[in-house]
Amino acid sequence: MAHSAAHHPTGYKQYFVIWVVLLVMTGAALGVGYAPISESLKAFLLVGTTLAKILVIAAYFMHLRFERMNLVVLTFSPIVLALIMFFFTYGETTGSATHELLVRPAGAIADVAPPAH
Amino acid sequence: MEATLAEQQRILASDWGGGKSPFGVPWSKFMMWIFIISDALTFVGFLVMYGFMRNISPTWPHQTEIFNMGLITFMTFALISSSAVMAMAVGAAKAGDPKSAVRFLGLTIVGGLIFLGCQVYEWSHFIHEGAAPWYNPWNPAIPQFTASFFVITGFHGFHVLSGVTILAVVAARAAMGKYSADGVENAGLYWHFVDVVWVLVFAFFYLL
Repeated sequence: MAHSAAHHPTGYKQYFVIWVVLLVMTGAALGVGYAPISESLKAFLLVGTTLAKILVIAAYFMHLRFERMNLVVLTFSPIVLALIMFFFTYGETTGSATHELLVRPAGAIADVAPPAH
Repeated sequence: MEATLAEQQRILASDWGGGKSPFGVPWSKFMMWIFIISDALTFVGFLVMYGFMRNISPTWPHQTEIFNMGLITFMTFALISSSAVMAMAVGAAKAGDPKSAVRFLGLTIVGGLIFLGCQVYEWSHFIHEGAAPWYNPWNPAIPQFTASFFVITGFHGFHVLSGVTILAVVAARAAMGKYSADGVENAGLYWHFVDVVWVLVFAFFYLL
């Protein structure tokens, strides 16, 4: 595909429409945040709306839909690495050892003084 | 010998032979993308750290009881709106209309400043209540909450401040006639990235 970012047809009107779409998606995410649903379903829906918003911003505001596929793939590599890192560390959080190491026991709370003003 | 020369010319004319970018973008734009990817990896580290902190914590504060969600939603609105006018500034710059580009850049900077003002208000409010990166006044057993809050929103806020500074320089240069459509586009890519990071912070820190 020839590089055509310099003369792509994206105009002000399209940016306005994308802005409205992003605001609607933000409203949807806010609705999910307040909805009386299970935490796992909430997490799933929030990941979905967030990824959709990122795709819209990247495709239209950052013009990735006009770029070559090799650049597009490169720019999405952090998301893949984020998933790998999250699932590598997730197993650690289910054990009790790290739990006891990093969360202060109730008796130790008294030692923590509030910062002086 | 003839064949070797022809082969050399074929390689030189190919995408990888030099003189042409295999990614089909100017070098400055490609460097900006490389910077954005490396910066995104930093935020990946922060967000995964936050997920880890949260998963090891026996409880986590209800964000709606601590944060002013109206303010946070307004901040999100300001940043998304500034991202939209930034896209328009890039469009104007590419269309060879520096006057409109400077006007849209000015609106983008206003959006960024509104966001920063709201963040300063939020931070000062929390600090006044006794919150610190090492102390959570709402539940002292979970200092991870305030630690994650200050590190993630602080790092993002610093990016917004940097972005506003870069945009001010780009706008001033454009107003002085030192006009470069590529420069405006590269600054715009950074600003949209700052918006993308806030979309993630808004969803995973404030709503989840």
